[in-house]
Amino acid sequence: MFGYWDALYFIYAFIIGLLISYLLMKWAEKASVGTRKEGDGSKIYISGEDQDKVIPQFEHLQGYFTGRHVMWGFIRGINKMFLTFRREHTGLLTDYVSYLLITVAIVLGVMVIWG
Amino acid sequence: MNVLPWVIITPLFGAFSMPVISLLGGKFRGHWAVIVSGLTLGIAAKVFYTIWKSNEILVYTLGDTNPIGNGVKFPIRIIWEVDLFGALLALTVTFVSFLAILYSLEYMKHDTGLDKYYALTLVLELGMIGIVITGDIFNFYVFLEIMSIASYALVAFRNDTWEGIEAGVKYMFVGSLASSFILLGIALLYGQYGTLTMAYLAMKIAENPTLISKVALAFLVGGLLFKSGAVPVHMWLSDAHPAAPSSISAMLSGLVIKAGGVYAIARIIFGIFNPGLHSYLKAFDMPALNLNTLGWIIIFFACLTLVIGNAMAVVQNDMKRLFAFSSVGQIGYILLGFGIGIVAYGDKIGEIALTGAVYHIVNHAVIKGLLFFIAGAVIHQVGTKNLNELSGLARRMPFTTLSFIIGAAAIIGLPPLNGFASKWLIYESSAMYNPILAVIAVIGTVFSLAAYTRVLFTFLGVESEKVKMVKEPGNAMIVPMLVLVIIILVMGILSWQISDKIMLPTAKMLEQLNGEYIMALLKFIGGG
Repeated sequence: MFGYWDALYFIYAFIIGLLISYLLMKWAEKASVGTRKEGDGSKIYISGEDQDKVIPQFEHLQGYFTGRHVMWGFIRGINKMFLTFRREHTGLLTDYVSYLLITVAIVLGVMVIWG
Repeated sequence: MNVLPWVIITPLFGAFSMPVISLLGGKFRGHWAVIVSGLTLGIAAKVFYTIWKSNEILVYTLGDTNPIGNGVKFPIRIIWEVDLFGALLALTVTFVSFLAILYSLEYMKHDTGLDKYYALTLVLELGMIGIVITGDIFNFYVFLEIMSIASYALVAFRNDTWEGIEAGVKYMFVGSLASSFILLGIALLYGQYGTLTMAYLAMKIAENPTLISKVALAFLVGGLLFKSGAVPVHMWLSDAHPAAPSSISAMLSGLVIKAGGVYAIARIIFGIFNPGLHSYLKAFDMPALNLNTLGWIIIFFACLTLVIGNAMAVVQNDMKRLFAFSSVGQIGYILLGFGIGIVAYGDKIGEIALTGAVYHIVNHAVIKGLLFFIAGAVIHQVGTKNLNELSGLARRMPFTTLSFIIGAAAIIGLPPLNGFASKWLIYESSAMYNPILAVIAVIGTVFSLAAYTRVLFTFLGVESEKVKMVKEPGNAMIVPMLVLVIIILVMGILSWQISDKIMLPTAKMLEQLNGEYIMALLKFIGGG
């Protein structure tokens, strides 16, 4: 029914998601040398914390990971977008005023022409 | 007895009696503020129940029984016109404010100047209540300024740090400019139509929709987008909300941007520039405003807001700043709901979108209140809000972490929590109206998920030196968090009952397909 949801659909979706994740993990274990259960390369799974060991290529983890390392790949993948957004957040009062004027001008222009 | 005026009188009296109460001793002022805000909550609950039960709009004239002037046939007195939307907002405002004041008892106990703090907090609360109950547009502006000035002062309350002062000054400068645009819009409407009563203004604009009314609408919406924290005029928010004491951050993020922002936008569009009335006029080839255009403007800013707000949250290391950007993102969903509500006005899709938006206002107030209380608990106990230093907090503060997990899951929109119910309505209506909008909304949620997952992993990670000696805060901070957790769970479990019994009637009353807001006033003029 429109505007409503059935909890069962979410359980189905959750089970399917779990199944896909499991199959992906199994496939990764077979296909990649970096995802062995034991020995070198096992630390590709970040759950294997080892504070004394720095993993090659993953030096930024410094032996263990914290919250800031989570979503590293996600952030890295769309880094340019984040850099653009951050560049606009200058913290300058003049910029805040400019954006306010631009916003009001956009609303005013559109309303006068098409309103 | 009409209890409506007491919802303003009580916090006003509480605020102005604070210097006298402070003479009795430090403890009394906090407890006095709790009593006053508790009473205000009770009155707001009574007002809400009365309107919900009768499904009728409450009109109250200040200083008289009738808004119509002597010898004239139009309203000249200030009226408060409360529909279910206003009453629901008043209830939400008083509830979260009560918890924030209760939370302050312990959170602020090491601060000085608390008589001013509690007085300003009560003034902030009454400003918001005034906004949501008034039916007079200049009175609305007065309450908006009362709310804004109290929030500028509260952001800079801890004046021993540069962060609060800088954020407060920036917020005040740009906030005043935005308020000037709003005042300019009101002045234009008054100059053109000669009335300040919102419902009467709605009739006058429909009779003669001029270019001036369009310009006024643009100034009002532009200024109020700023007050809502919509992108690209959101930057003050990410400075101000983290800089304020956490109890105030909870009120700013949970309430101020709603009452003084999205509520005001919805009230002005649906109350004064009624889309139904103008589409009716258009159908008969009469001069009318094209409010679809305004709907699309709001949708445009909503999409920007929900993507950029949530995306910026992902890359924050300051926990409160992350929550502040998340608030920006959530405002995007609310604006999207209202935008679709305007462009699909009178349609089932529009009704569902409005229901989702109204529902999300309440849900976000509760959830963000909880999240800022959690941030406050962490700052109070650990002394930092830097996520890089908070690793492994879960072992030392298990209740706070569990509350965070529930709050984060709710704000991301995971079923079966309350955030899911409102977001689902917005997703569903946007998918039905235009699937691209639904895709954009989901992209926003992906960023939101990423941002909160980072905090969660921080709390659950390896214990850092900084958190080794910390423990849970005292009961005055735990109880408000616990209450909000319970509310989130209950609202999640009973989400569709709440939607059917409260949110849908509220959205219908806001949408006013039969011009109920105008009709409530017409009873006094004799046309109803």
